[in-house]
Amino acid sequence: MNVSAPFRRLLPSSLSAGLLRLAALFLSAYALGLTISPLVRERGLSDFGSLRLDHWLGLAVWLGAFFFLDRQTRQLLPNRDPLLIPLAALLSGWGLMTVWRLSPYFGLRQTAWIAVCSAVFLLGLHYRELLLASLRRYKYLWLLAGFLITALTFFFGTNPSAEEPRLWLGFGGVYFQPSEMLKLLLIAYLSAYLADRQPLTRGWLPLLAPTALMTGLALLVLFVQRDLGTAWVFIFIYTLLVYGAVGKRRVLLGSLFLLVIALVAGYELIGLVHQRVDIWLNPWADPSNSSYQIVQGLLAVASGGLLGRGPGMGSPGVVPVSHSDFIYTSMVEETGLAGALALLGAVAFLCLRALRISLNAREGYQRYLAIGLAAYLASQSLLIIGGNIRMLPLTGVTLPFVSYGGSSMLASFIALLLLCLVSNEGTRRAAPVGHVRSTLALSGLVLAAFALAAVITGWWTIARGPDLLTRSDNVRRVRSDRFVPRGALLDRHGVLLSHTQGSAGSYQREYLAPILGNVLGYSHSTLGQSGLEASLDPILRGEQYQPWLGLWLNHILYGQPSPGLDVRLSLDAALSEQASLALGAQPGAAVVLDAGSGEVLAMASAPGYNPQTLDQNWPQLSAAQDGSLGNKAVQGAYPPGGALGPFLLVAARSEGVVPDAPADLGFTLNERYSDCDRQPRNLDSWVDLVAAGCPGALAELGMALGGERLLALFEGLGFYSSPDPGIQERFQSMPASLSRPGAAATGQDGLLLSPLQMARAACALSNFGEMPATRLALEVKTDEDEWLALGGSGLARRALPDAFAASMAQQLANTPLGIWELGIRAYGPGGEAYTWHLAGDLAAQDGQSRCAVVLLENSEPTMARNIARALLGR
Amino acid sequence: MENLSAYILLALRLLMTAALYAFLAWGFHTLWRDMRQQARQATQQRAPALVAMPNGSQEALRFTAPEVTIGRHPSCEWLLADDTVSSRHARLSFHHDQWWLEDLGSRNGTMLNGEALSAPVVLADHDEVLCGQVGFVVRFERASEEGR
Repeated sequence: MNVSAPFRRLLPSSLSAGLLRLAALFLSAYALGLTISPLVRERGLSDFGSLRLDHWLGLAVWLGAFFFLDRQTRQLLPNRDPLLIPLAALLSGWGLMTVWRLSPYFGLRQTAWIAVCSAVFLLGLHYRELLLASLRRYKYLWLLAGFLITALTFFFGTNPSAEEPRLWLGFGGVYFQPSEMLKLLLIAYLSAYLADRQPLTRGWLPLLAPTALMTGLALLVLFVQRDLGTAWVFIFIYTLLVYGAVGKRRVLLGSLFLLVIALVAGYELIGLVHQRVDIWLNPWADPSNSSYQIVQGLLAVASGGLLGRGPGMGSPGVVPVSHSDFIYTSMVEETGLAGALALLGAVAFLCLRALRISLNAREGYQRYLAIGLAAYLASQSLLIIGGNIRMLPLTGVTLPFVSYGGSSMLASFIALLLLCLVSNEGTRRAAPVGHVRSTLALSGLVLAAFALAAVITGWWTIARGPDLLTRSDNVRRVRSDRFVPRGALLDRHGVLLSHTQGSAGSYQREYLAPILGNVLGYSHSTLGQSGLEASLDPILRGEQYQPWLGLWLNHILYGQPSPGLDVRLSLDAALSEQASLALGAQPGAAVVLDAGSGEVLAMASAPGYNPQTLDQNWPQLSAAQDGSLGNKAVQGAYPPGGALGPFLLVAARSEGVVPDAPADLGFTLNERYSDCDRQPRNLDSWVDLVAAGCPGALAELGMALGGERLLALFEGLGFYSSPDPGIQERFQSMPASLSRPGAAATGQDGLLLSPLQMARAACALSNFGEMPATRLALEVKTDEDEWLALGGSGLARRALPDAFAASMAQQLANTPLGIWELGIRAYGPGGEAYTWHLAGDLAAQDGQSRCAVVLLENSEPTMARNIARALLGR
Repeated sequence: MENLSAYILLALRLLMTAALYAFLAWGFHTLWRDMRQQARQATQQRAPALVAMPNGSQEALRFTAPEVTIGRHPSCEWLLADDTVSSRHARLSFHHDQWWLEDLGSRNGTMLNGEALSAPVVLADHDEVLCGQVGFVVRFERASEEGR
């Protein structure tokens, strides 16, 4: 009965070769996918010269290295755990392909490192007796050597990317991080020490003093160097190893307590820790600076979705240091949650095998060695993966086997070698295990932590993903704009206003009516979006009004939306241009509505800008702060002043509460006296008082109506509601009550209206009291070249009684021109003047009755009147 | 045609995922089989029968249970009604492929081949054991021989 060879007997020895073949299949599929990814990105239209081929070299080296290693270990270590090498091979191959996908330069170096590490592995394999024995025998010497070589970085330290901290020793373009070796030497030292002092049951605390001293010394070195991530790993290794040896739960609790204290102290004392913890708690506060990396990493994870974008199809390179610290996010982006779960499963599997090996180890030293290596692999993997997905504060350590980095890879390979050696000598008749429960507890802990990482990854990819990806700092949207044509904007007669030109990979937005820039807006790769380009983005980008199958196929195949759809607007390009030209450099806005349908026929805002030359003019435009980048017709907010007059009079008449004309036509509001805008012709005619914009008269009307009816009137006229949901309009919310109806009726007591809101209310006068719902986007051109009406969200409603509204329009009529009109100046709290001009058709022309509102940001009544008349064709 | 490369890539992505999970499933399946086999082996593993021949007695006792407690107490597998034997005197147990003898803190002690026991020891064929004043010789029957 051969019980000394548990693995050979129970796990088939062919297992490792079979698993390696599966790993090779996975990597070959990955490599092939990466090769053809440029074709897919450019939708198969580009030449075959763009195919990526260089990473096959990495795959070839990987294949050679691991199949040779496997054969050698099978011969020399027949009893080793056959799962170790395939797991390490899968992780390092996957990492290699990902690094190569991110940067061929680093990929080539990583390939060389894998070759070097395999050679070291083979060397260690042939001197295996010497290795294990000397590590144990000369434990203090080895550790001292580790300290010395790490201390060398104090004097000769460099950083490959020429930054702080300087943790590397560099020679001829090759860099080495000694703390990686120190980590392994510390594990060997601790294992040897603990094994020599068995059993550790009574009086274990004083026995641990030398180990605590040595670990503390190592931590000190790391703290001085600001290598805090590695310090974390050391603390975890020490804690878990001592717990594994002593089996007392208070080791874990005490260490946890110390960690919390260290974290709090670090938070208060060390700037870097403070920053990292703040970023961890709230990365959304500063997403373009300090938390840029973590936010971009989360976006990469989110864009992975369930299956991932596919090799070479994502944009993981946006995340800084994506090939090293943030390699996990790169892998999740391109292989999705499915890949993430497999990756976490493989790492957890490796850690659990290491713990299993510890149970079967021949002697205490080897047992602790296996526990220490398991602690190293588990804690370092969890620290960096957890840091990537906001499970833990970010610490700059590498993902063992996977991340780019020679010293990290070397440490991983040596750990693999040691585990192979220990498992090979493992036996069923193992030395009695002092504390099985501690090993079981460690396994449970590791498993739970990886499961938590999996759940959190799932949360970012599935639950939070779609929401996250709409963030404006998600470059994937912008990139997909270069590969997917964006829909065009057309005016009501089908005139092209803006469209996209070029071919996949180089699509460019072209603005054919730059003078309408304030209304149409822009869609820019770095400056974002505005105007209709922003509000209609889901349609123009092809995310709406597309058949679900097409959407789904485009998403699954390209990770991109479908081609965008064209939108026909209600704007009349010629009339809008006329409005813009009429305003010229005069700050202000103009709106023309169809009084019946509420369609916006013209809209202009001045001063304007040219979206075609946004790149060059951006600094001046963004510095100007004069609203030239916005659309004042919907985003402007101005006191209505005397423009409220006609509405108040209609309401008072319909309620039958018209008072006598007041003696004082002026009004004192907030210690400022204002008089009529112009001298009324007839002091007893309410219409004349309203047309002259006399604040005293308006206040009288307001008081006659009372706060409640006044509030109802304003609400009915849409002063507290959005004129057309979806064009970034601004509006005030409705107050609970109007406590000073007199002041409120003067239109200068805090009420602010946008020109579009005013135009909509003015249309009620032209349309027998019916106020239309405004519409700007009329139709969308579907996939089958059919025009589909875009339902407006608002409904027309009665704002004023019809007979009173009609007679009001007649009384304000300018009969020769066939329109009614009202020009009035209003004043802001600082006394700044605004000119309103409201006008509308008295009778329908060509079956259309229109109303126009012009607002100028200074006192120019004649100009406002002329513009309004011209826009109505007079 | 435009989409062909995209569909090939999709197929490769599915293949990648399948290979990954096949890898993990194979690994876990092997472990599960290993565990099942080990469990079955543990349940099938029989201790070689221990035959105790008390001195001066003609009747040999045969034990197949993996644990045998010797003493005067009625719960003991081997009841020895002798005044020099403690109520729970010693234990014979099979583990690690061996039969072990262990003194349970008896008043008069347990001797193996004339030496007093202080720790569990492995028994060999023909070993002489003395519990108090009661002595016996142990013999083993190989499990395999018995099974066939």
